[in-house]
Parts: sequence; C-alpha cells; structure tokens
Amino acid sequence: MNTKTRLLWIVPGAVAALSLPLWSNDQYQVHLAALICCYWVLIAGLNLVVGYTGQLSIGHVGLLSIGAYTFAILGGKWGWPAFASVAVAGALCGLCGLLLGLPSLRLPGFYFAMATMAFALIVGEFVLAQGGLTGGGVGLPVPGFPPPFDTPEGFYYLAVIAAVVASVLTWNVARQMYGRGLIAIRDNPVTAQAVGVPVFRAKLTTFVFSGVTAGIGGALFGSLQSYITPDTFHFELSLFFFVCIIIGGRGSILGPFLGVAVLTALPELVAPLAKLGNFFYGLLLLLVVLVVPEGIGRVFELIAQRLRPRSAVSVPVAPDLPRLARAIASIQALK
Amino acid sequence: MMHQAQPGDAIVGPASLSASVVSKEFGAVVALNQVSLELRPGEIHGLIGPNGSGKTTLLNLLSGYYQPTSGAIQLRGEELAQASVRRRAQLGVARTFQKPRLLGTLSVLDNVVLGAWTHVEPGFLATALGLPQIARADRDLLDQATELLHGVGLSHAIERRANLLEHAEQRFLEIARGLAMRPGFILLDEPAGGLSNDEIDHLGGIIRTISDAGIGVLLVEHHTDFVFRVCDRVTTLDVGRMIRHGRPQDVRNDPEVIRVYLGA
Repeated sequence: MNTKTRLLWIVPGAVAALSLPLWSNDQYQVHLAALICCYWVLIAGLNLVVGYTGQLSIGHVGLLSIGAYTFAILGGKWGWPAFASVAVAGALCGLCGLLLGLPSLRLPGFYFAMATMAFALIVGEFVLAQGGLTGGGVGLPVPGFPPPFDTPEGFYYLAVIAAVVASVLTWNVARQMYGRGLIAIRDNPVTAQAVGVPVFRAKLTTFVFSGVTAGIGGALFGSLQSYITPDTFHFELSLFFFVCIIIGGRGSILGPFLGVAVLTALPELVAPLAKLGNFFYGLLLLLVVLVVPEGIGRVFELIAQRLRPRSAVSVPVAPDLPRLARAIASIQALK
Repeated sequence: MMHQAQPGDAIVGPASLSASVVSKEFGAVVALNQVSLELRPGEIHGLIGPNGSGKTTLLNLLSGYYQPTSGAIQLRGEELAQASVRRRAQLGVARTFQKPRLLGTLSVLDNVVLGAWTHVEPGFLATALGLPQIARADRDLLDQATELLHGVGLSHAIERRANLLEHAEQRFLEIARGLAMRPGFILLDEPAGGLSNDEIDHLGGIIRTISDAGIGVLLVEHHTDFVFRVCDRVTTLDVGRMIRHGRPQDVRNDPEVIRVYLGA
C-alpha cells in the first residue's frame, strides 16, 4: 500500500474517530470506541511481538492486569497524580516483560506460549492472594483522569491520543530496518542470524516494549472500567488479543486494528451476535484460519492488487554487470 | 595424511579468511578431518567433492553455524572459531544457502535491504520515535539495494513479493542480499543448483564482477565444468579430507580427484 492509498484510509478514519462524540447520541458507543482504543494500545505493542516477531504470547492479560492494578493502587489508594501513575504502570509492566522474557524467549514457540500463559495465571492468583493491596476478590475502584479528561468524551480523546501514539511508534518500527529484522526472526531465523540481526536481543526489546504498552493500556482500561476485580482480567481476554492479531493478519498494523475494532464492536452493536459470545470469535477465527490464513489485512492487499493488475509474465534474468560493478563499488566504499 | 606443498599455496595472508587444520565431529562421525583452506580477497575459490565430503560443513564452519572440534578460523588476525554468526556478519562474511532462504512476505527490495542491518544497527527506541537519521539511512539503503537489484538483473521484480519469484530469481536475490552486507567475503552454497545454462552463464558473470570488486568468493558447487571455468583456485574434498587443491587445470587432471569425484 503506498502513502496515497494509506491517506485515503487514514484521513476519513481520523475524522470519524475525532468527531464520534459529536454525532453519536449514544454514550455507549463512545464507551465502546474508548474501549477499542484501550485494547489497541496493548495490541499495537503485542502485534510487534506476535505479528512481526512471531512470538506467540498468550499471556498479555497478565500485563494488562498489572497495569490496571498499579494505576488503581497508585492513583486511587495512594493518591498519586494520574499521569505519573500511568507512567509507573507502563514502566513496571516493561520490567515485568523483561523478567518474563529473559528466561522464556529462548523457548521454542509452543513452550513460550505456555510460559506466557502460566505468567497470566500466576498474576491472577497473585492478585487474589494479595488482598491487602489489591482488594482480593472484591476488587478495587479505579480513579479517573483530571480535567479535561474527566468526562466520557474527555477520556475518549485521551484514549485516542494514546492509541495514535502507540500506532505511530509501532508503524515506525514496522516499516524500517528494525521491522525487517523482526520479520526475519519470524519467518527465517537462520537468515536473521546470517545478516547479523541480534535475534534474542531484538525479541527481548520488542517484548519489553509490548509490556510497556500493555501497562499503559491496562491503566487506561482500568480507568474506563472504573472498578476492577480479578474477573475483569479473565484468560479469554488474552486469547481475544491474540485472535485479533491472527484475524487481522501477521505483519500488518491496519489488519489487527480492524480486528480489534470489529471484534469489540460487532457483538455489542449486533445483538444476536452478542448471544453467541465466544462462539462468534471461535467461528470467525476458524473461518479466517481456513480461508485467509494471512488475515483480513491480506484480503485488502489482494483486492488492491486485483484493481491494478500487473503482467506476471516471466522475464528472464539479465544481469547488468557494469551497473552491478558500480553498485558494489559504491557501497563497498561506505565501509 | 599430511598435505604437501602444492602450487597455489601461500602463507596465509592477514587479509584472508582462513580455516587452519579444522576438524568437525558430529558424535562419532568425522565430517571434516584436518582441513585447511584460505580464501583471499578478490579470488574465486571453488570447493568441490562428492556428496557428504564435507563441503557444506566447511562453509558452515567459516560462516559460524558450526564451531570446529579443533583447528582455527581467522579473519584479519581475529580468531573466529567460537565467534557467532552475527559477529561474522559484522566482520563482512556473507553467505547464501543451498535452498534460498528469503522472507517470502516481504518485497524483493526489502529482502536486499535487510542485508545492510549491521551497517545501521538500528536501535528500537530511535526507530520507534521516528528519528530523522534513521529514516534517512533507510532511504539511502533502499537506493543502494535498488542499484544492486538492477545489477543482478532483477529490475522487473523489485516490488514483487519474494515468494512469487522463480528459482533463478531467488538465487540472484540471495546474492544481492549478501552484497548489501558490504562483505569482504561471500560464501555461495551451490548457487548454480537448478539453474539453466544461460542462467549459469549469468551467474558466472556476477561472480566475476564480485571478485573484481575485491571480494573473496567461495564457490561450493557440483557443476564442475562451471567451477573449473570461473575459479582461480579449487579445493577438492573427499570423506572429510582435502585431497587436492591448486589451480583449476591441475586439480582437474589430478588422478586422485578423477578417481573419487570426476570420473574418467
């Protein structure tokens, strides 16, 4: 997709997102849109881990939970300023990502997934056990943000800002050298090594980043919920994040965003789907994996390719040796 | 068997990539038995031998995928035997694979640019924040990679997804990616495999162009006609041991080489 077609998506999307509280007369729609943004802050980071680096983390609900509880305890119980609490939530979850990633990112795919799942379960038990700090099974109230973010609309705009920042950061990573390195780790680790990508360090850095976004997303998510209990962070939520990325498509940013938007909004807006609940997610996942394993993002790419057909005639390779000699000489001179 | 001095031998130069008396054992199997090889800058060095003679093992020792059981691997005076694959990439040792290892979902251009990773060593934070020097470096690398692609004859496929390439295109793309690493040495693992005669001629032209630029080329290959045609020196292995090395015409006419490999 080139810059022009991208703008064709982004500009109307941005206008619609920013004006939502004006044209929507339904508070619930604003709440839903804010929820999508909170999820996206987490998923944007997780997408670099799952969609780009190919590390199948299914434990990010644990990090979301830590972020939300940190925010609730610091900002609510201890009366810290809201934004300082968010920053600490992000930093703490980054640290948790580091501590979780250091031993587990060397494990092969399936075992890594199990390790992250175990982490999520441990966090849930820890929250229950530390009742003095976390309110145990009863839960905790979560504070809001100072004006102008103290109304539902205000909070919505705050969530949009966070979502845009998360998108821009991940977009910068994805489209440049770092993103190529991550995709190499995912698709061909031998190649990644051969060209000198520091495989483990890149995996770990990306995982720590996803911890930070999960922490910030968790703080916003908690605040939006206004009251959290261990049940708020059920394990299905972790699978939901994972499914959003798989349905959206690996190695895409727009795809997983559409994934989270559709999967969050559709069951709420279309009543019969809500009754189906997890059945709906399951069915959609099955359809995508069977029909378009590369995700819905890829469907759009394929449609775009159809619209401007290109001749796929086989062209015999014909090296231009003088040009090759010049090209080699000019880059060897840069050494 | 001691190896005797032969024409083409020289004291290992400081600028060479060299393996000195290396052995590699996998359990009880001795894949390489005290083999030495010196790859000099700007030369095309053929490595031939029957299947299982240890050619790819030696290539993997030089590029760092294996560590030798004994012996030394050196480049510019640095001992590399235990160095990682990444370290060797940083020092300018590039390689291709018997079966091309490309990133199928990325464009041909992106595949080549990836080769320049060690020359930018991008930081995550600097990249995420969109620092202008990172973006500028990326644009420069895209331009350089585009030139390399025109050079190896892939002008028509620059924007194409790499998994849509035909076999010869994949091979040439891997060479372009190796060149993007700005290597001092490039190790080619059976680059002529599956190519037509015309394509092998093109490959020969590309390899000569690479060596003319001062890059040492190690050519592991089964097409012996091709090897004897393009190489400056040839090393022959058999069951993990070096049986002959030297100028192509000498190796080709060596009775031992003919007996174990070339046939009458």
